[in-house]
Amino acid sequence: MKLGNLIISGIVTGSIYASFAACVALWYRVSNILNLAVGDFAMIGALGVDNLVSVHHWRVAPAIVVILAAVALSAYLYDRIVLRLAQDGRTRQEGIVVTFFFTFALSFFIEGIAEVLYGTNVHAAPALWNGHSLSLGGGLHVDRAGVLIVAFAAVVGLATSVAMRRTMQGKAIQACGENFFGARIVGIDNRRYRRLLFIASALLACVFGILESPITGYTYNSGAAISLTGFIAAAYAGFQRPGKAVVAGLGIGVLEALLGGYVSANYADTILYAILAAAVLARPSAMGLDVVPE
Amino acid sequence: MERGQLTASSNALTVSNLSVSYGRVAAVHDVSFKVAEGECVALVGPNGNGKSSIVMGIAGLVQRRGRVEIFGRVARAGDVAFMPRHGFTLVPERRQLYPQLSVADNVVLGCFSRTRSLRRAVTSAAHRQALELFPELADRMGQKAGTLSGGEQQMVAIARGLAADPRILAVDEPCLGLAEAVSRRVYEALARIHEAGRTLLIVEESPVRALQLATRQVEVRNGVVVRA
Repeated sequence: MKLGNLIISGIVTGSIYASFAACVALWYRVSNILNLAVGDFAMIGALGVDNLVSVHHWRVAPAIVVILAAVALSAYLYDRIVLRLAQDGRTRQEGIVVTFFFTFALSFFIEGIAEVLYGTNVHAAPALWNGHSLSLGGGLHVDRAGVLIVAFAAVVGLATSVAMRRTMQGKAIQACGENFFGARIVGIDNRRYRRLLFIASALLACVFGILESPITGYTYNSGAAISLTGFIAAAYAGFQRPGKAVVAGLGIGVLEALLGGYVSANYADTILYAILAAAVLARPSAMGLDVVPE
Repeated sequence: MERGQLTASSNALTVSNLSVSYGRVAAVHDVSFKVAEGECVALVGPNGNGKSSIVMGIAGLVQRRGRVEIFGRVARAGDVAFMPRHGFTLVPERRQLYPQLSVADNVVLGCFSRTRSLRRAVTSAAHRQALELFPELADRMGQKAGTLSGGEQQMVAIARGLAADPRILAVDEPCLGLAEAVSRRVYEALARIHEAGRTLLIVEESPVRALQLATRQVEVRNGVVVRA
């Protein structure tokens, strides 16, 4: 029974990692930029909806719609103003600064705004599916919010995986990440895809924040930790395949829960990251790292 | 009309006062030339003299000044989809494939300017004909393009260009880095493409090979057309 509940808990946690990993990998695939602000969009979703509902007494549905619209508009403007400047100028900038800096700076910016707007307290969006935990039989239980998270993560993982493999648009997205110039040769407008997927990944993260916050609660600076979990799981998919990133996120979540349950709750994270580091050393190609022969 | 004959009404491509710069470095200055439908034109000249910049400028892949017309339509600068959609496809220097994608995916992406439906793309006549031109690729369709030999990669690049069903195919340095036997195979394929009625614009450093196929040459030196 303990093992079963730990695995269920791990799947819920892993689904959260998986979801943010999918957001990171999806956008990296088209832009070669790591979205380190993805967790901040989740935080804005949770805190923004909570603020509209509990402070301004809005109903939940319009609050979600307004926050999603605001996030989409913000992502659009950021692409048009900042990313366009970074990547679409006369000389396209590439390298470590562009890969990390432009979304890292955005992360700090969103955090600052959230602190001013929502303060430093813990907030949570209203649960979308209220009630006691669901019993799965045999003493196994799962939170209703957890069911929503797992279901949404499964839909996102499956949809992105199928889209990448089975649609022309998915292949075009992969081509953008593989070869910026080569994609333009066949008429793929990389910039349009970068913008659309940045908005899409921000919206997905926002929805996950709204779904997840009833379980964990968010503060204005929760985004960085969320982005980090997504970053790690996406790294295990070599930042390339959103579907694989989802599987990696699930695996990390389950492993973390089992370590917490059977080894040590206090040292679960430490042991987990040691195992992940060892796995990278043992199989660097799994993370998309090239092995350079001496 | 005899192939190669240039009339005002038969112009497939008209380039007028084309200039291309990279920052402050000007690579091409006020280049003008015409290509008639069905012609095979060789754009020749020493390396580093602006030939590739000319075709990239025509394709809209680099910032340009001047006017480019394709079958009477003025190309929109900055719109990368315009030229492939209106019948001009570039097979670029160094192929510019997607190395981690399969050969099949590389070729089918050539259809992107024509359709967003993968099913329609793979069942299209242009896609089928592009693959039929290179039977060597039949066994390699699932292989990552980056793992192919240089010659095979060039075949994939040409097949990708043909999958767009272009009326004008521009091929930049088709034999760069290839062995003589492979180069002959590539030119044999280009000859078949031309025989099928497509207009060809071949960029070559050495005019000898290109002129075996081309009916006319446009010579470029220091970013200027010295003979058209």
